[in-house]
Amino acid sequence: MSVQAPPAPIQTPQEAPGAASGQRRLSRAVAALRYTPGQLRGILAILVVLILGAGATALTSVLGKSAVIEETTTQSGRLSVAALDLYQALSQADSAAASSYLTAGASSEEVRETYREALRDATVALSTAAGEVKTPEDAELVARMNTHMPVYTGLVESARTFNRLGEPVGATYQRQASTLMRNEMLPDANALQHNAIDQLNEARDSAESFPWLTTVLTAMALGVLVWAQLWMTRKTNRVFNLGTVGATVALIGVAGWLVLVALASASHTARSHEEGADPLELLAEAHIAAQQARAEESLVLIARGEDGSAEERYAEQIALLTGDDGLLAQLNAAYGEDPELAEALAAAQESAGRWNAGHDEVIKLAQEGEYTEAVALAVGEDEQSLATSFDELDEQLTEATDISAERFVAATGDARRALSGAAVGLSALCLVALVSAAIGIQMRVAEYHA
Amino acid sequence: MIRHKIRWATALAVCLLMAACSGPANLDPPEVDVPTALPEDIDFDPEISTAPPDDSCDPVASYSPGSVTAADARALLGDRDRIAVGISQSTNLMGYRDPVTGDLAGFDIDIAKAVVTALMGDATKVQWVPMTSGEREEAVNSGRVDMVVRTMTMTCGRWGDVEFSSEYYHGGQRLLVTKGSGIASLADLTAEHRVCTGRSSTSPRNIADQSRAQPVTVPDFNDCLVLLQQGVVDAITTDDCILAGMAIQDPRLEVVGDAFSEEPYGIAFAKGDVDLARFVNGVLEDMRADGTWQSIYDQWLDAHLGTATPPSPVYQD
Repeated sequence: MSVQAPPAPIQTPQEAPGAASGQRRLSRAVAALRYTPGQLRGILAILVVLILGAGATALTSVLGKSAVIEETTTQSGRLSVAALDLYQALSQADSAAASSYLTAGASSEEVRETYREALRDATVALSTAAGEVKTPEDAELVARMNTHMPVYTGLVESARTFNRLGEPVGATYQRQASTLMRNEMLPDANALQHNAIDQLNEARDSAESFPWLTTVLTAMALGVLVWAQLWMTRKTNRVFNLGTVGATVALIGVAGWLVLVALASASHTARSHEEGADPLELLAEAHIAAQQARAEESLVLIARGEDGSAEERYAEQIALLTGDDGLLAQLNAAYGEDPELAEALAAAQESAGRWNAGHDEVIKLAQEGEYTEAVALAVGEDEQSLATSFDELDEQLTEATDISAERFVAATGDARRALSGAAVGLSALCLVALVSAAIGIQMRVAEYHA
Repeated sequence: MIRHKIRWATALAVCLLMAACSGPANLDPPEVDVPTALPEDIDFDPEISTAPPDDSCDPVASYSPGSVTAADARALLGDRDRIAVGISQSTNLMGYRDPVTGDLAGFDIDIAKAVVTALMGDATKVQWVPMTSGEREEAVNSGRVDMVVRTMTMTCGRWGDVEFSSEYYHGGQRLLVTKGSGIASLADLTAEHRVCTGRSSTSPRNIADQSRAQPVTVPDFNDCLVLLQQGVVDAITTDDCILAGMAIQDPRLEVVGDAFSEEPYGIAFAKGDVDLARFVNGVLEDMRADGTWQSIYDQWLDAHLGTATPPSPVYQD
């Protein structure tokens, strides 16, 4: 192939400025369309628009998808994770504070340590959430929880101090702390978590959507290109030229890559949802129900028989956890066949059952005035203590959570890998198509001027 | 050509500006109320009953001891080897769990122990059943417990449901305030003052009838102490012995004013268990006579409420 002459300048050098020149240019362009070179340039213009459109939409769609995947693991993902962590940590802090009140003076300060860790987790999650909120509603929820946090810890510390001084009013402080947690803080954490999950689901839907616009534009560009080649062959009596054939191949590449990428990332995102996010959410709910039931169990004893509603609230939470349609039953139904999760889930259900059976014994002892024995059974340190079965349940749920979290990270990683290079690759292919088409058509145009 | 470039640059700048503005909205700092922890079901404007007080009887008149033996009385128990006694575990000084030892202690508990020893011959043949004040009548009549020793005021209304022993403590409603609050009696209370008291007792009505203060009710009167310490209420009103149990937990609090109601405490039995009441009345007579009552009072209440002598029994037959 000989070196091509540069395309002849379209504009005449002595062009008059102003609106009149624009009009003149338009009419000249329309006039040019009557001749083959002008028609070729017209086709090129259409191709440029279509390929640029396909390239630009492919780029935005791929970048958008990776941004969403990035977000699932980072930004609004970070808010929903923080909100869930917060909800869970607050529940855990409350149940540990209540247990710790009952065991005050005992040699083991293990529960107290759990309380302090849960508080740290809650405050860290709260500050993370504060940095991620995007709506005024969420900002208010975070602010409200922030104002409640010192009030709650103040009440818990007052309870602890009065308890150490041997003043019974400590029990009332502890109950008030739990009331604040139950009526104000936990509902706020729950609302924040639901808002975050809603935002995340919206983003996820867009990540799973197919890039229709890009596909249509690419198909149209291909169609025009193929038609143009047939037309040129007829018009100029020449077989295909290298430029336009290259452009066709590049565009087919774009279309193939695009479909592959879209389907793969959608399937990975869906997998991250099914194997990761879904069980994670159920497990977190189970964790929270368990913690709240445990807190109410301690409150029954802290209130020394003066608070009948604590026992009702315990029954509510434990039904949520271990009922026939309870969270553990749902988890076992959905993931009972899963080789990695099955064992932990079955064990969790067993521990929860043992705990609930023991709880009836605690209540019986408390009602019969065997208060010290009831407390020992509920929060004591020996093997039969409900603290043991509760801790086991907690461990098994944590194990299942860790496995699901790993899968979630793996699936989102796969989705991101499927997209890796797609943005650059698709843009490059579009550019190749563009340049090839331009060169190919320009070659023919140049032949007329030669 | 330069003009073209300027036009493009302007368009680009506008696009960038729009992109920048469509980013995360600038959130104003949210407005949040000052957080106050309040007990569940607190009522700042409770409805005060206006039904006329039931004075159709002499509430303190019980049954004379007669010649009922311990064996006769034991025949009325559900389980003859163990008596079930309803008590409070959360009323400091009267019936409560010592937070250090975890054991039951208090004035009511010691009275009950003396009765149990006389009735069963052994202070350990007892099952303590903790209950709320609302459960007391139901508990004796359902047989869940054989008797209730739990700061229970003898009233004509309650005589309709249960049998009472003779009066074992004479209480009255008083005020608990912060030292230096300027409140020394009912007369110092203004409409600005909030006075906390337990729901479902006669206390809200007494304070509403006899002062201008605004009653505030909570389900459990223990919540009142926390509310007073937190400054949500200005005073607490309930029976003097219960107030004393709160006052000793906080050196800045004091019980003030004269009693403005009569609260005779009696031990309650199931309706019809008259022989049990007679036997216990005999035990109470002995306790008054041999100084047992006095030593129990001195141990628990003397330091906080001043010296007192046992209330004299009144019998209806």
